[in-house]
Amino acid sequence: MKRKSLQQSISSITYVPHHLILFHPWQSPPGKPKIVRCHSPEKEMLACWWKPGSDGGLLTSYTLLYSKEGEGQTYECPDYTSAGPSSCYFNKKHINSWTTYIITVKAINEMGSSISEPHYVEAASIGKPEKKKSNKVVMLNFISFSPGQPPGKPELIKCRSPEKETFSCWWKPVSDGGLPTNYTLFYNNEGEESFYECPDYTTAGPNSCYFDKKHTSLWTIYNITIKATNEMGSNISEPHYVDVTYIVQPNPPVNLSLALNKHTDGKLYLLMNWSSPPLADVRSGWLTLEYELRLKPEEGEEWETIFVGQRTKYKVFSLIPGEKYIAQVRCKSDHGEWSKWSSESYIHLPKEFRLKDMMVWVFVAVLSSVICLIMIWMMGLKGINMVACILPPVPGPKIKGLDAHLLEAGKNEELLSALGCQGFPPTSDCEDLLVEFLEIDDSEDQQLMPNHEKGHPNKNLKSGNKETDSDSGRGSCDSPSLLLEKCKESRIPPAEFQTPDFSETQVKAAGKSSQETQNRDPELKLPDFNSDGVKSSTWPGTQLASSQIPKGSYHNIVEVCKVAFSAMNVNVSAIRMGNEEKHPSKYSKNIETICEGEMTQRRKGEICL
Amino acid sequence: LICSCQRRACQVSLGDLFDRAVKLSHYIHSLSSEMFNEFDERYAQGRGFITKAINSCHTSSLTTPEDKEQAQQIHHEDLLNLVMGVLNSWNDPLLHLVSEVQTIKEAPDTILWKAVEIEEQNKRLLEGMEKIVGRLHPGGLGNELYSRWSGLPSLQLPDEDSRLFAFYNLLHCLRRDSHKIDNYLKLLKCRLIHDSNC
Repeated sequence: MKRKSLQQSISSITYVPHHLILFHPWQSPPGKPKIVRCHSPEKEMLACWWKPGSDGGLLTSYTLLYSKEGEGQTYECPDYTSAGPSSCYFNKKHINSWTTYIITVKAINEMGSSISEPHYVEAASIGKPEKKKSNKVVMLNFISFSPGQPPGKPELIKCRSPEKETFSCWWKPVSDGGLPTNYTLFYNNEGEESFYECPDYTTAGPNSCYFDKKHTSLWTIYNITIKATNEMGSNISEPHYVDVTYIVQPNPPVNLSLALNKHTDGKLYLLMNWSSPPLADVRSGWLTLEYELRLKPEEGEEWETIFVGQRTKYKVFSLIPGEKYIAQVRCKSDHGEWSKWSSESYIHLPKEFRLKDMMVWVFVAVLSSVICLIMIWMMGLKGINMVACILPPVPGPKIKGLDAHLLEAGKNEELLSALGCQGFPPTSDCEDLLVEFLEIDDSEDQQLMPNHEKGHPNKNLKSGNKETDSDSGRGSCDSPSLLLEKCKESRIPPAEFQTPDFSETQVKAAGKSSQETQNRDPELKLPDFNSDGVKSSTWPGTQLASSQIPKGSYHNIVEVCKVAFSAMNVNVSAIRMGNEEKHPSKYSKNIETICEGEMTQRRKGEICL
Repeated sequence: LICSCQRRACQVSLGDLFDRAVKLSHYIHSLSSEMFNEFDERYAQGRGFITKAINSCHTSSLTTPEDKEQAQQIHHEDLLNLVMGVLNSWNDPLLHLVSEVQTIKEAPDTILWKAVEIEEQNKRLLEGMEKIVGRLHPGGLGNELYSRWSGLPSLQLPDEDSRLFAFYNLLHCLRRDSHKIDNYLKLLKCRLIHDSNC
């Protein structure tokens, strides 16, 4: 069999005898031709060119068919040659203005045929082609459209029944190829042969079909298909099998009300009440609904979900007073799906005045005030001490004291210069000093306090005797220290201090050792010492005499020291105590200790007499 | 259930009997539904079984109400009769389902024990319904309805595909009928016990 090439067969229809047709595996019907363009080369002329598809391995012939829009009749291309290969040429005989022409090309071979997509050509005014006056060229008098498309395949989205009595289906609109598309829904009942069309396209919204009670049967399978149609063609969806029994999804419950009530034990609780959705027939038992609640404080993030069962009310305890709560409810059919959540309901809980809390605070307040009072009272008792603790005592004037180390070292001059004293009597003056001391005591004793003699002489004697029992010299030398010790021990206030007693003991003690010296001493300068009006002095003896002692002050000590030492210088020789020679260092120490002791005692605020 | 002694005999109240029956029917349908879904997912994907499972249930010979209006119009005696008929018609298939489902290749345990459970609970439900019928209609319901099941051979087919479809069909019908029974009983309970005011 001869096989002509594709190019050769373009402008002619070649007749191929059928008996010569042999089956070859690689042969197939022709591919779809495509109209490339339509163009007006001259005025009132139109030419269209197409591109052939695959020829399927066989001789293929092409036919161009055109028709006017609105008219049924199709015409064949009048001229296949003038415009060249794969073309069709129209002149004004065939083309009228103001009409849309639909042009298609058909490819035919032994195996079959194929038609191109339709090409629209609108014949506008057929005018003269204008010469090129500018870059703008008005060439085409014929405006051609791109070909329209049949619609895509529709798809069913879902079907739902809110109350197990009616149901609705929704589908997804498809690409319509730029043309208006019509949708039709067909269904077939299980057990029935015929297909029916959707009874209601509007009630459920756009792209939907609503089946009312009459058209709804349970426990049967519906075979549903959707057909999309436009001018260019139609398309049918895949079949969708629906049993209304299993697509139940109710509407949300309604009338959710929140109210605060008081329980029998006085506790507040939230009572939640709602009703089943209006369409659902729960009363007859046709539909059985179960409910679920959710609650959260307004500011909260997480919902608390509570499954309630078939009741339509619920009590909520353990809510936070003062908070604002949001609540929602939803329901589901016994074997179906959950509805959407209902609209939000709000409630604002009042802040609770709890008697318990107040009692606790009152108790705490009372307890703390009691503790405070106790503390203040205790402070009051201790009085000065606490005040002293809180407010530090005013420091007394600082006086350079006797430097113990210097005294020990025997550097008496340095010591006294630190004190401000002038000179320092040699240790051999110890005795004189003591004698002076004794003399003073005598005079004072007689002048001032005769009454006290009787008071405690025995006592002091005894104590004094203990120390002075041994040697005479020792007793007299030791007397200042003796007095000092006693002073420290007894801590007798000035008024009570037995000045005459001490003096007596001193006198007596000294008297045991050497009476001679006693007799001589009153004549010495020491009365001057007395006349100084010493309010307080380093010599306990002199203090004994003075009733002004309590008002001691530190500068007096220094004065006394000075006077004492100067007296010592003068009258040192008058005092001859045997033991003193043996204990010169001791004597100097005694003076030192007296001076120091007074000062330290003063520092302590105690008056040693 | 609480026994209240009335009329010289200790009787459970009718309300309690219905409560129990409804609980059982609800439970049986839940199991059937789960079992069907599991089987469908595992064995029926892409086989187009549903297109063939049309009008294929053995109980379809029993005319049962198909919507609310029909169900509310039917007399409770007739409805009870229908319920008993459906339940009785499933006795046999359920027995065979238990034995045959084990022969399915790699049948998951969940499907196996569900089949056993459904068969057992169905028997209990039948007993309970007989009590209710005896209470309401001591003389019996009269015309006893029954649909014979002849699907056993198809469950034993050598061709795997055909056999699987037979199971699919049976489970599909079981799911549907158990839902019917559950719905009818809930309807009857509200009507008879709560005077249509549930």
